[in-house]
Amino acid sequence: MSALELHDVEVTYERRGRESVRAVAGASLIVERGQIVGLVGESGCGKSSLARAAVGLVKASAGEIHFEGREVAPLTRRARPRELTRLQMVFQNPYSSLNPRRKIGSQIADGGGGGRKRVAELLELVGLPPNAATRFPHQFSGGQRQRIAIARALAADPSVIVLDEPLASLDASAQAQIANLLVNLSRELGLSLLLISHDLAIVRHVADVVSVMYLGVMVETAPTRSLWEVPLHPYTEALIGAVPLADGSGFLPEALPGEVPDPAHPPSGCRFHPRCPYAFERCPRDEPPLLPVTEIRRAACWLQEPGGPPARPAERAAQLGVAARVE
Amino acid sequence: MSKLLEVEGLRVSLPTSEGRVTIVDGVDYAVEPGEVFGVAGESGSGKTISMLALLGLLPDGAHVGGCAQFGGRDLLRLPKRALRDVSGRDVAMVFQDPMTSLHPMLSVGKQLTEHVRRHLGLSKDEAERRALELLEEVRIPGPRSALHAYPHQFSGGMRQRIAIAVALACGPKLLIADEPTTALDVTVQAGILRLLDRLRRENDLSVVLITHDLGVLSSIADRISIFYAGRVVESGPREDVLQTPRHPYTKALLDALPHPEASERPLVAIEGAPPSPARIPSGCAFHPRCPYATEQSRVEVPPLVEIGGGRRLACHNDPFA
Repeated sequence: MSALELHDVEVTYERRGRESVRAVAGASLIVERGQIVGLVGESGCGKSSLARAAVGLVKASAGEIHFEGREVAPLTRRARPRELTRLQMVFQNPYSSLNPRRKIGSQIADGGGGGRKRVAELLELVGLPPNAATRFPHQFSGGQRQRIAIARALAADPSVIVLDEPLASLDASAQAQIANLLVNLSRELGLSLLLISHDLAIVRHVADVVSVMYLGVMVETAPTRSLWEVPLHPYTEALIGAVPLADGSGFLPEALPGEVPDPAHPPSGCRFHPRCPYAFERCPRDEPPLLPVTEIRRAACWLQEPGGPPARPAERAAQLGVAARVE
Repeated sequence: MSKLLEVEGLRVSLPTSEGRVTIVDGVDYAVEPGEVFGVAGESGSGKTISMLALLGLLPDGAHVGGCAQFGGRDLLRLPKRALRDVSGRDVAMVFQDPMTSLHPMLSVGKQLTEHVRRHLGLSKDEAERRALELLEEVRIPGPRSALHAYPHQFSGGMRQRIAIAVALACGPKLLIADEPTTALDVTVQAGILRLLDRLRRENDLSVVLITHDLGVLSSIADRISIFYAGRVVESGPREDVLQTPRHPYTKALLDALPHPEASERPLVAIEGAPPSPARIPSGCAFHPRCPYATEQSRVEVPPLVEIGGGRRLACHNDPFA
């Protein structure tokens, strides 16, 4: 039994007077026990909607979500069932997820009861002194506030934490501290983490497995290292190629032409085909399923074949005689 | 080569609830024609305030000292009216959120034409031709229909391109870009960086690029300056500073970044947090976080001195020499 399983999940937002938008259009994801799974993609790809559906903050309009084998029901006015409190979430902005008027200690205690001793333990776990309990959120830096938000999630003794862009609003030094903290917590407590991020470089450092999302669907899933060494989906390749490196070389990263299309009107066939340099006849016609290319890797691209061998999109395109489009 | 902008001993203090606080404490730098000058630092390091000071965009009650020579004039001593003419025509600025500089209720065409009519005195038709040229220049698809559209109809990346078009309208010599790609996805960011790079090559434009992202600086800056707690701690050619950093803070910032060749080892985080401008440590402001700090670091502010090869360093110990 996996810690968290999402199967063919859809999230649809109804809009008054306009057609509804399917932000997540059938996405599957598995987080194993003790594993750190990174979920990456551009803004508007549906990764935050999927994260919210995973913990029951928004209702999935289709598909199944299971936490330790139990179905995750959307949040209602009633308290969540006890077992589900072991599935926790941390948000991007610790400035807005903490109450500015209440002391840190009582906010952490909210997460799972326990007295002063338990709060001190949790603070220590995230690298804060025990006297932080008697202070207010504004007395802390952004990185420290994110530690507090993590301590509050840990108060419920979770087995899975879903983190939505937990590093995005932090400076470089705080980012590295929180990234290391997350890895240590996962290893020490056997915690599973689903880390949603637009920052591929940091995900590469932290995650065991990475899923790449584009316009509501998963396009590739692979162990982190192999994903970086040989990206199978042209979108993954473009994302990796766009990350600037601080090596002083003056190398300009590659831009991906075009824009993320409106999710209310996704392109036909493969949703990435209008921006894909290797798109051929089949791509605008049929939507590629997320198929196993090797035992440990899946990709949703007509260039790849089940059973592999896995190869970069350019290499596969050359083998198949598909001409790459140059913009 | 003659400098386009030469800033010396820039000091800015602002009134706050904790009394008057020095945000920028004696900053020197120069920008040459056609170069991208990168300014890096964490939040609160004074990098943005030191640029806003040049354009007279500081809040009321700010005290500014030092001098900023631009085209034979000291920007810090120009009367408000004259500064407005300079800052509209010769110096332009774009921000992290393009909506801070774009008016949400005015069409893109209106915002572009108003600017050139005011500062360059063009007729209505000439202004419209110029607006179209500008949108083509920043690669807005369908520029003719974009003229009649409103900012909210564009994506974040396209809005930033429009903000850049407005900034370029009067043919500035200097563009100050404050975290222009921070809110954007990497794929879109790469497009904006390529645009800035092309603009400075084709238009002989100098760019001051302010960012917390050393990767961004590494891709287009020619020279860079590293800010910490309101001072410059190190500056020099991009390649040298990023490949062989000399200040412990620069080194620490680089070590904290995820590195492609060493993804297995944990990130080397810098202990602690940058100081609040109201409580800058004595001596070298970085000393409480620096593994190389000595007694001298604790008591004496290290001056920014030439260390050869166009590089400057503010460190008593220079541990990586």
